Amino acid sequence: MKRRQAIQALLGAPALAAIPLPAIAQEMPKLATSTADAVGEPSTHYFSNPQMTALRRLGDLVVPAGAGRPGARDARAAEFLDFLISQSPADRQSLYRNGLDQLQSEARSRFNAAFESLTPQQADGVLGPLHTAWTYAAPADPFARFLREAKEDLIAATMSSHEWSDAQAAAGRRGTGIGTYWYPVE
Amino acid sequence: MKTDYDVLIIGSGASGGMAAYTLTQLGARCLMPDAGPPLDFERGRTLRPVWDLPYRGFGRPGRFPHITQASEFDAALWADEKQNPYSYPAADPYYWVRIKMIGGRTLRWGRASWRLSDYEFKGKDHDGFGENWPVSYTDLAPYYDRVEPIFKVAGRNEGFAQIPDGKFLEDNSKDSLSVERFIASAKKLGVPTTKARRSTGTLASSANLLLPDAVATGKLTIVPNAIAREIQVDPNTGLVSGVSYVDRLSRREYTVGARVLVVGASTLESTRLLLNSTSRRYPNGLANSSGVLGRYLFDQFYVKNCVECVVPEARGGKASRELMGGGGYIPRFRNLKPGEKKFLRGYAFDFGSGGTPSAKYFPLYGDALFAKLADVANTGFSLTTMGEVLPRYENFARIDPGVKDEWGIPSLHITHRYTENEHLMAQDATETAAAICGGAGFEVIAQHAQMVPPGESIHELGTCRMGADPKKSVLNRFNQAHDVKNLFVLDGSAFVSGGSQNPTLTILALSMRAGEYMAERMKKREL
Repeated sequence: MKRRQAIQALLGAPALAAIPLPAIAQEMPKLATSTADAVGEPSTHYFSNPQMTALRRLGDLVVPAGAGRPGARDARAAEFLDFLISQSPADRQSLYRNGLDQLQSEARSRFNAAFESLTPQQADGVLGPLHTAWTYAAPADPFARFLREAKEDLIAATMSSHEWSDAQAAAGRRGTGIGTYWYPVE
Repeated sequence: MKTDYDVLIIGSGASGGMAAYTLTQLGARCLMPDAGPPLDFERGRTLRPVWDLPYRGFGRPGRFPHITQASEFDAALWADEKQNPYSYPAADPYYWVRIKMIGGRTLRWGRASWRLSDYEFKGKDHDGFGENWPVSYTDLAPYYDRVEPIFKVAGRNEGFAQIPDGKFLEDNSKDSLSVERFIASAKKLGVPTTKARRSTGTLASSANLLLPDAVATGKLTIVPNAIAREIQVDPNTGLVSGVSYVDRLSRREYTVGARVLVVGASTLESTRLLLNSTSRRYPNGLANSSGVLGRYLFDQFYVKNCVECVVPEARGGKASRELMGGGGYIPRFRNLKPGEKKFLRGYAFDFGSGGTPSAKYFPLYGDALFAKLADVANTGFSLTTMGEVLPRYENFARIDPGVKDEWGIPSLHITHRYTENEHLMAQDATETAAAICGGAGFEVIAQHAQMVPPGESIHELGTCRMGADPKKSVLNRFNQAHDVKNLFVLDGSAFVSGGSQNPTLTILALSMRAGEYMAERMKKREL
């Protein structure tokens, strides 16, 4: 027996080749899968508890659920932003942390209550900068700048969620967020 | 050194692709090292929902601090800034946007396809500023005529001298009522309008329109992942003898030679390569006896969404297809007679009807905001300004020896500031846009005149400019280096001025013209 034949015999290659395989065993299966975000509850770790509760409440106010429209809480937008901001540059992290702290401190000083406990009317007083007309330049005041960024981020995080996509599809609307994705290049 | 090729072409985008297309059809054997991999359109992409992306479409924070065009969907296409760093003065950020793949930035360009005119080629004659190009519109017109059909440019011939007519797929589509109103208002103010002129097709890239034909001749060899490090010069003749390059993946170093070298790596990458190619004969960079290599960097400034409007009649769900949709272009109209304004040169607009204005424009939140967005759904009308930036000696790129890319090649330090001329122009543009929209009966909900940072338009030009005088320019009228006759630089770095028109069509025309010149000279053994 030649060396190559001996190795093939040891590996069992000729024997395997002789076994007729059913068609399904020769197909490459494409398995349906889900995503971590769709099945699990996201852990938050970046913002403190008071910051997180303020952000969730801000989400409720900026993107409330409506008829056939999930809100920021349904989309777990605050939890997503906890993750996103934890990986963001330092200046954006500071803007968020200081802004959320100021939501709480404004609520305490004006109403002696936590921001998440304010009525919508009371909260509107704290969120006054969101009623300022848009300018290209970001506001000089850091709190106003935080509110402007948080408004856009909460809307975007809600509208890019699985829940929003499902609601759009159920209503027969376009804009379910499908795009052409390019795989990473070696 | 291996010298099996007639022409070495560095780069595969608009200029390199057209050089290969032209030269191979004229019989030249070409080798094309490109810094990036080929894009696999079948296996490289898939449809994917945004919620399935790791960052829900926000993108990985900090990955592309200077590439506002990148999304989480197409992040793989853009040059990674950590692998490809560069520097700029702290107070003047420069946005250097690159794609390092076969096809270059033609994989992702906006496709706007405008001819330059003698308002640009002979700009100095017109208003006294800067330098004329060493070519006129008449020289380039026959090449525009041949490039437009390759790229299937759709547009409408109008007879405007500032954007000469061409060989278009004639666009006689009907305008929506909102666009008609806009055009009528512009006309009252003496502002011309026309249809957009765009290259058409599923992909309008060097990768599908130029390179396949060149490869089909059997005379083009493409080498992906080959990053040019330095151009080598024969010390006896002063001519280019070849190029050294590094394999992007293995990092092995190679050299290859040719009779003629074409550099088309994109404006700043080409100049970087020349500046990195020093020798006893060319201590300040290859072909830089003039000292202007790297100088006269410019681009076109953009004021994105300078005016954002709502078309009132479309509110409340009345945004019909008859009323909304479509768009067009306003060519330069300022200073066609010199001295008309306090600033030199002029600007153009893209305008578009339809879409819902962004939530950011409304000082509302919660249910009130969503009610407003429902009311203004598909009622938007907006304009973006594209203005001419004057080429100035003070705006330049130089090698920063302290900043190297992942392959150890020194990168650039880029200095580019806009001046009062650009600021005045941007202000005038926004005021004009608002006046046209107001005259059309649109509700202006936001306006601004803030230019994006230099570079962000991805129309960077100059730094290796053409010219009749070798003391003031690097290249002659055929994109051939004054100092080194077998060296040609074909991309946007060769521009002397840029107007407000998107530059790609002109890069293509110049490259085709230079390719034919090279082939003729090689046939006569003059190269």
